[in-house]
Amino acid sequence: MNTTWTIARKESAQMLRSQRGLLWLLTFSGLLSAFSLLLVSNTELSLLDNAQVVYMMAGTVLAAGALLVAILGSDAYAGEKERGTLVPLLCAPIAANALLAGKAVGLLAAWGVMFAVATPYLWAVGASGQNLGAALFYLALFGTPVVLGFGYLAMALSARTGSVMTSLLSTVTLLMLAASPLVIGPGLRGTAVGRILDVINPFAGALNTFDSVIIDSDPFSAQTGRLVLVGVWLVLCLFAARRSASRPDF
Amino acid sequence: MKTRNLLLIAIFSTFLFVSVSRAAQPPVSVDLQPDAENPISPIMGDHLRFWSTLKNTGSSPMEGLVVWISLVEIDPGNEQPVDLEDWSAQKAVTGASLKPGESLRTDWPMRLIKGSDYRVVVSATDRGGRQVYTSPTVQFHVRQKPVLQAGRVLPVAAGMPLLLIGLMVFKKTGQGRGNRNNVTT
Repeated sequence: MNTTWTIARKESAQMLRSQRGLLWLLTFSGLLSAFSLLLVSNTELSLLDNAQVVYMMAGTVLAAGALLVAILGSDAYAGEKERGTLVPLLCAPIAANALLAGKAVGLLAAWGVMFAVATPYLWAVGASGQNLGAALFYLALFGTPVVLGFGYLAMALSARTGSVMTSLLSTVTLLMLAASPLVIGPGLRGTAVGRILDVINPFAGALNTFDSVIIDSDPFSAQTGRLVLVGVWLVLCLFAARRSASRPDF
Repeated sequence: MKTRNLLLIAIFSTFLFVSVSRAAQPPVSVDLQPDAENPISPIMGDHLRFWSTLKNTGSSPMEGLVVWISLVEIDPGNEQPVDLEDWSAQKAVTGASLKPGESLRTDWPMRLIKGSDYRVVVSATDRGGRQVYTSPTVQFHVRQKPVLQAGRVLPVAAGMPLLLIGLMVFKKTGQGRGNRNNVTT
């Protein structure tokens, strides 16, 4: 447990204590700032327009969070290998599961920091509108498994391939595909293929929940199916990471 | 004789007028009233309630009634019907039937989404008839509420990146100081 905690602390520190982590946070914050500033010119929004803005911002936080966690996940094993620290780490008396748990908690901490950075932005654009509390609650409830799932998937590929580039490119490609509902219109999502993708895509599941609770004010009971979807996604990715991390490529 | 003829013509005309009037009278009356507890000067986000009363004033029953509410924005330059998707949970009453003399009272709750001038009306029709009966309109103004305040967005949009830059500079100078101390010792 102590080993896991030590690794988790070291991994968590990446985001707030290293220049690299702070630069990522600055980029994330800059993205949200640019998005918020675009809206300032139009203050006479209807409640629905405002809810749409909060929904879009929650989607942006989800996508950017998943991207940053995928970068960290890709670096988890392959980065250690490329820096020459993986073999000493594996030779140390640390169980593979403890190492994985430490790195997994590190990803959770990184997402927590990003969530904390995003919260003032959501408050700034949504405090006078509707469902800000619901937006924050569901971003935490659905965003956490979706974001961590991508991080764990990147970690699994990182351990399996031993290459940061391969792991990162594969995960980012999958993330772009999963996040496509953010940019494609409702017409395309309404087609048979679009509906099937919506059912199996955890990212779309989280987005549809944001739409449902922020814009339509739907209750929690309407979200249980999607909650199961993102939960299954998290468990599958964690399982893949555990399997790959037990036999990392070095 | 002449007086009697005039009297007969007058009686006949009266009967004719009454029967024509009754035939022209619609078999349904629709009334629409705002709820007494509605805010006097509503603002975006407030809830309004309207009450419609549909009465069968005819002599035959009405089957398969459909009663629905419509909202029209009448702000100059923005005149358009409003999609009630997010305004009103109750958009129509369907399938009801009314016997002669019976009435149907329905409430229409509404959440005010956008500031502007509006006119609301309730319409009704039945399965057999070809007419649509409408209530008198009720007009109201919704005050705009600023949902996005520049005074709240700007400090966050500028402050968060500055805070992170400050943290980076602080870390950088702290590291530099630590390195110098290590060299000195």
